Amino acid sequence: MTNSTNNWIECLKKETGLEAKEGTASLQYVLDVDKQEAHQTLAYLKRAGFGQLSLLTCIDWIEQGTFQLIFILMHWELGHHLIVRALLDRENPEFTTITDIYPGAAYYEREVYEFFGVHFRGSAVYQKPLFLERWDDMPPLRKDFDPQAYSDGKFPKREHPHVFKANVVEVTE
Amino acid sequence: MQVTTKNDRSLWEVIGDYFRANSIWMKWYCTGCGAIEMPPTMTSRFDMEQLGMGPMATPRQADVLLITGYLSTKTLRRVIYSYEQMQDPKYVVGFGSCTLNGGIYYDSYATINQLDQYLPVDLYIAGCMPRPEAIMNSFATLIEMIKKGEARGWKHYQENYDWYKANQMDSLGEVIIHDEFHE
Ligand code: SF4
Repeated sequence: MTNSTNNWIECLKKETGLEAKEGTASLQYVLDVDKQEAHQTLAYLKRAGFGQLSLLTCIDWIEQGTFQLIFILMHWELGHHLIVRALLDRENPEFTTITDIYPGAAYYEREVYEFFGVHFRGSAVYQKPLFLERWDDMPPLRKDFDPQAYSDGKFPKREHPHVFKANVVEVTE
Repeated sequence: MQVTTKNDRSLWEVIGDYFRANSIWMKWYCTGCGAIEMPPTMTSRFDMEQLGMGPMATPRQADVLLITGYLSTKTLRRVIYSYEQMQDPKYVVGFGSCTLNGGIYYDSYATINQLDQYLPVDLYIAGCMPRPEAIMNSFATLIEMIKKGEARGWKHYQENYDWYKANQMDSLGEVIIHDEFHE
């Protein structure tokens, strides 16, 4: 059992030199890859049994100036989850589409483009709006987007005639 | 904005309102978390039917539209579609602080902050979320308002159509829905 469990980890190391680490949960593994080799690694992992892409999302590490793409893959026979992570340049976020590996990723790519502005080269549909209708500002899940200012400019607020203040009682000894 | 419509009902409208108030069909638009308080209100625990109210499947046959929580701009477009499909007289009830002033989503880029800018709200229920007791209480109030001819939001909407449309345009750009399912 142990042998077959760790099979893909060893094969991955032997064939690509990449090392998958244990994640925080049981049956969870983490793999950091370069942007350049992410595509071929994902193709390799799919052949190795990770047939399902559970999630593709993005994290904005604004202080490091990077975006991090997160792919969560699932191995149905072993029950393993594998988190594949790749860093992108925040100024010019570009990635190659993975719809040729996981066709269902088309919707995730549209979402990540809409909320973070990451371009997926090679996909014909990634710029099609998915959730936001008639969006007219920078991608809203970037950390430098100011939702309060956007909301103030767009949606009328109710005026509150009363300002409620806590009644602070000073305790003197 | 104040509701300015005069309460000049004809005799038939008075009679109509009296009977209408005792048989209300409601359409609840489950937009936010508040919708979870509807099942106990509708079923045996609080039993909305004791007030003569029942759920209705489509907006075209409903009298009351419940907005049960926050509305994103995307949902607001669909809600306006639903509201316009309803036949007069029609009443709108806003649920929870999200419809009143944005609630905890006051600074969201996606949700509106004040429902009565876009649709004529007859009654608000405060709370996050309002408990079934509060909902039942507000339904009783709504019935009284209909009987007395005080629930005049739909007339106000007709008379101030331009004002409502202008507000909808300001926040939404356009109400018409363009997405891959409508094209
Ligand atoms: S008022 Fe509270 S319960 Fe209701 S939709 Fe808003 S956050 Fe949810």
